[in-house]
Amino acid sequence: MTHVAYRLQRPLALDVALEITGFTVLLGLSGAGKTTLLKALAGLIPGVGTPYGGLPPQQRPVGYMPQGYALFPHLAVWRNVAFALSGSRSTRYARAIDLLGRVGLGDLAGRDPRTLSGGQMQRVALARALARKPELLLLDEPTNALDSTTRDRVLTELRALVNQLGVPALVATHDPHLAAIGDRVAVLAHGAIVQQDAPAAVFDHPATSHVARLVGFQNLWRADRVEPDGGGVVVAIGDVKLRLTPPSPLTAPAGLAIRARDVVLWPDRPPAAAGNLVTAKITELRREGLATRVVLNGPLALEASIDSRSDLGNLSIGERVIVRLSPERLRLFRWDSDTSV
Amino acid sequence: MTRGLLVALAIGVLAILVAPFLGFALATPWGTLRPVAGDLAALRVSVVYTLAALAIIVVGGTPLAYWMARYEFRGKILCEALILLPLLTPPLAMGILLTMFYGPNGWVGHEARTFGVELTNTPAAFVLAQVYAAAPYFIIAARSAFEGVDPELEQISLTLGQAPWATFWRVTLPLARLGVGVGLAIAWVRALGEFGIVLIIAYFPQGIPVKLWVNLQDIGLDAVYALLWLFFLVALPLPLILGIASRRHLAKIETA
Repeated sequence: MTHVAYRLQRPLALDVALEITGFTVLLGLSGAGKTTLLKALAGLIPGVGTPYGGLPPQQRPVGYMPQGYALFPHLAVWRNVAFALSGSRSTRYARAIDLLGRVGLGDLAGRDPRTLSGGQMQRVALARALARKPELLLLDEPTNALDSTTRDRVLTELRALVNQLGVPALVATHDPHLAAIGDRVAVLAHGAIVQQDAPAAVFDHPATSHVARLVGFQNLWRADRVEPDGGGVVVAIGDVKLRLTPPSPLTAPAGLAIRARDVVLWPDRPPAAAGNLVTAKITELRREGLATRVVLNGPLALEASIDSRSDLGNLSIGERVIVRLSPERLRLFRWDSDTSV
Repeated sequence: MTRGLLVALAIGVLAILVAPFLGFALATPWGTLRPVAGDLAALRVSVVYTLAALAIIVVGGTPLAYWMARYEFRGKILCEALILLPLLTPPLAMGILLTMFYGPNGWVGHEARTFGVELTNTPAAFVLAQVYAAAPYFIIAARSAFEGVDPELEQISLTLGQAPWATFWRVTLPLARLGVGVGLAIAWVRALGEFGIVLIIAYFPQGIPVKLWVNLQDIGLDAVYALLWLFFLVALPLPLILGIASRRHLAKIETA
């Protein structure tokens, strides 16, 4: 595990501490400073911290892969890969071919890099970054330049490749899909790491309203009061009171959220024992493949996502339904003052 | 405008541009074409000292051009204007300025003299005049060529273990080479053909332009044909080749 602690002022203020292990994803909105942090770690932007603080970029044992990959357009593929290598032409060539083989592109050595596909460019850039035997890979938005059909495949390959190479990687992205496949996720917001953990933990238990938005919680409210209640807490949002478990030490201002797919709709009567019920009117229905997005209006603005093939498939706009927000699926977290509801 | 009219106009303009050269070729007495006394010496002076001036321009102008291309600083606009100044000054006036500065009574000229260096009517003066005539062209072209190189490629080179100097040689210069080459070619022609500045500060040693003038004055039109052909032969190949290369984007990549 690599421990990173960096501070910088320009071009934006960052004070960041994070652990990198395996494929670690640095998740943040555009403008959060992901590229800035990666460049600071590579020594391209002045920053103070460990590791490598104070070293010029050419002495840092990192492999940096920028957005768009920045392959040298005047050099053939193998010369791009061999760029960092020294020695005779034949040893450099042999090493480049070996590296290209490891990323599955051994037969493209003589090609003009401008003629490659996005996924191929990415792997050439990765092979080039690996040539120096870096201690740490820094990959900036590796999926940005790819079209959606190849993205998932390239991503899975990249993940497998990085693991197989055994070099820890810090991968900056705004894409929660990429974050979901990492060994670890660190969320960058407001100039700091606001949460870092295994992806499942971050996706299921966001630490702040900002993280909740980032990892795809569609229903997000600002809680007016949070009160302990037996084995859980009761959260008040306006006139609505919702119970959730387990207990939490958080007090208002706190945020409350639930994923759209965890919102349960009851067109008739729910079982008598069920709590956390809200009545709402359907204002919009959107088909999204096999799911239907249901937008609801009532004491709480809500979105639900339901299986279009279920019994609920024939809902109609204007219909009133009973909504259940399960105490186990509601999430309570710190409220960031700049979050819009 | 119809296509036919456009083509006719274009051919007309081209014909007007080329006509004097054609006329010169037709007027040349090819059978009796001989250089007059001193012509070959003038050729040698022009080629040797222009190469020297070009070396100075490249060594001094490249860092300046790179600095202007890569860094933002206060007074950059002023800097740009200063680079243009020698180019905007009429050559004769530039020659006078240089004589006042580098001449025996000038600030620098006076000091240089105490070290035994004469900066008027010497090879050093000749080179000096050429540097002032041609450097701005090279600097402007090289700067825009460097600006065309994505700084990210230089950054990548650094992260691949290459020092800034190695990065310049391996990334910046190869990618800027056409633009820098065009700058070099223009500087070459400007320096080789400079007359006004040279006339004032370095009448001697006589290069081709001053010798052409002398031949014309002392002997007449018959005495300039050979020297003019020599001038074309020496001056034009480099800019023509580089000009065509840059137009055709002869950016062949290194694959071997």
